[in-house]
Amino acid sequence: MDVFLNEKNRAVARSVRRFCDRHIAPIAASLDAEARFPWEVVEKMGEAGYFGIQAPVELSGAGMDTVDYALVIEEISRACGGLGLCVTVHNSVALYPILAFGTKEQKERFVPDLATGKKIGAFCLTEPNAGSDASGVEATAVEDGDHYVVNANKVFVTNGGVADVCLIFARTDPAAGRKGISVLVAERGAPGFSVGELEDLSGMRANPVSSIRLTDCRVPKENLLGRPGQGLAIGLAALDTGRIGIAAQAVGIAQAALEEGVRYAKQRRQFGAPIASHQAVSAMIADMACQVEAARLLVIRAAMARDAGGPFTKESAMAKLYASEAAGNVTDMAVQIHGGYGYSRTFAVERYWRDARVTRIYEGTSEIHRMVVARSVMEELE
Amino acid sequence: MRVAVCVKSVVSKEPKNVKGPFVPRSPDQCVLNPFDRPAVGLARELAGETGEVCAVSMGPQTAMGALREALALGADRGVLLCDPALAGSDTLATSRALAAAAKRLSPLDLVVFGTRSADSDTGHVPPQTAVLLGLPLVSWVVSAKISQGVLSALRAADGFEEKVRAPLPAVVTVHPKVPAPEEPGLADLDAAFDKKPLTCWDLAALGVSPGQAGQAGSPTTVLSMARTKAGRSCELLEGSGRDQARELVRRLKDKGLL
Repeated sequence: MDVFLNEKNRAVARSVRRFCDRHIAPIAASLDAEARFPWEVVEKMGEAGYFGIQAPVELSGAGMDTVDYALVIEEISRACGGLGLCVTVHNSVALYPILAFGTKEQKERFVPDLATGKKIGAFCLTEPNAGSDASGVEATAVEDGDHYVVNANKVFVTNGGVADVCLIFARTDPAAGRKGISVLVAERGAPGFSVGELEDLSGMRANPVSSIRLTDCRVPKENLLGRPGQGLAIGLAALDTGRIGIAAQAVGIAQAALEEGVRYAKQRRQFGAPIASHQAVSAMIADMACQVEAARLLVIRAAMARDAGGPFTKESAMAKLYASEAAGNVTDMAVQIHGGYGYSRTFAVERYWRDARVTRIYEGTSEIHRMVVARSVMEELE
Repeated sequence: MRVAVCVKSVVSKEPKNVKGPFVPRSPDQCVLNPFDRPAVGLARELAGETGEVCAVSMGPQTAMGALREALALGADRGVLLCDPALAGSDTLATSRALAAAAKRLSPLDLVVFGTRSADSDTGHVPPQTAVLLGLPLVSWVVSAKISQGVLSALRAADGFEEKVRAPLPAVVTVHPKVPAPEEPGLADLDAAFDKKPLTCWDLAALGVSPGQAGQAGSPTTVLSMARTKAGRSCELLEGSGRDQARELVRRLKDKGLL
């Protein structure tokens, strides 16, 4: 029993697990094999409130706290990493910045459709020459009357193939360096807005990751989020929250791998006994379980820190760093327990292993997070 | 329309190392009896948007979770019949408590139950409650409608279907083949915890004497519980038909049977 969760948290997790067991788990392997985004399930997830977990009820959201948000993402990711990715990115780095930095008019215009999953959101920061160094953004937004004329080439956009509402990071003041970047809400269908080919990725294949290109795309000035030049601050705030989601996603994938590893170890017999009874395998199970639990505790702590209203950059960075690396270790051990079968696409652990890999890369690499954590710790211990 | 739906909290995992007849319960291992899910759904459907559905359960505080699930699935309010003197109730003593709650909730048009519980599986409580309330019982209902104070129901039994009519108020048990309502959304869960009322009634509130409740009021006693050994096991394969066939062939090959 997880003593850090209250009754409501547990009820949310149980309910989402039941939903996922019914609607997502049975098709997860085929979504991966076919690289398909399941609109038929996404519609149900929208009705269940999974696309507006923390949006206010008056804007059609579910009004839940960050702990609930993390639990929802963990459970969806336990069934399908690619859909967990869709939901966490949509909630944290697409919807949250509109809620936190948007005007009343912007919230009323964008949030209800996003919170109910009628529209999918995307966060368009990464460019061919701007990744870990977000200040290297080369996209431009030039004022022209009551519009910005935006030219941007955004790559590796999660949800890119299906997103209707895209937060575009672009330079509105090229001379101002880091303080010259702004965020504009661009909508699919606008002239000059185009979606590139879907990326053929190793994992997370249910998610339509693509490039998004804006060519002389006219975005109304009323779609500017926050103030001109506030882009990087908005992006970093969004990523602080987003990292809790990615960490929760990593925990969900690791949990699934732990369950499959244990199930297989109890069932597979070698040397006349289930391999779970062999010491080397049981040691792996112990290590897997410890890492999953430790990662989950870090995620819950980060979520609680956010709900408490104080700073949580260090907590979310620690959770993301540890959980993503734990997911790498745990899925690797699950493959090892499965032996040759674990390397076969017939078995789910092979998918978990591929899905887990990218959690150490996106929304800040492990290397960036070590820098963030080290900086915070050294400031604290001065 | 005023409807009471009687629900039970059951343990979600097989109890381990149980000594004696009682299963230890903790909140994270108690869930709404799965057979009660369609009952809550039908109760909501028959009550309509303007009617009131009250979920009732007898049990310790851990049963609150099952009531919250019933609230999330559509009940408007919940009542937990909770008193140390109720511990150890057999099906008759349970039926007395539920009948007393139904009387306190009256006037009611319907009292709805799932067909049975996933743990003790007796199926005794709905008919006993109907007898104690002096109400007609329509069991194993697969669909129902209400018109001018009369219940018209279709019940399934043993390969046949019966059309049944009964005056209201009545007691109904809902067949397990009735689809359970869709999993509640997050907003429904939020309402179940933070908005919808949930109250506790003790023996005094029910007007049941201690001699009629709990072990004291139970003519039957469970002496022990032990797992029986199944002669064979069954595992369901998942995935598409093609995936299942492929997996089946692989397993048979693994065992050297093909």
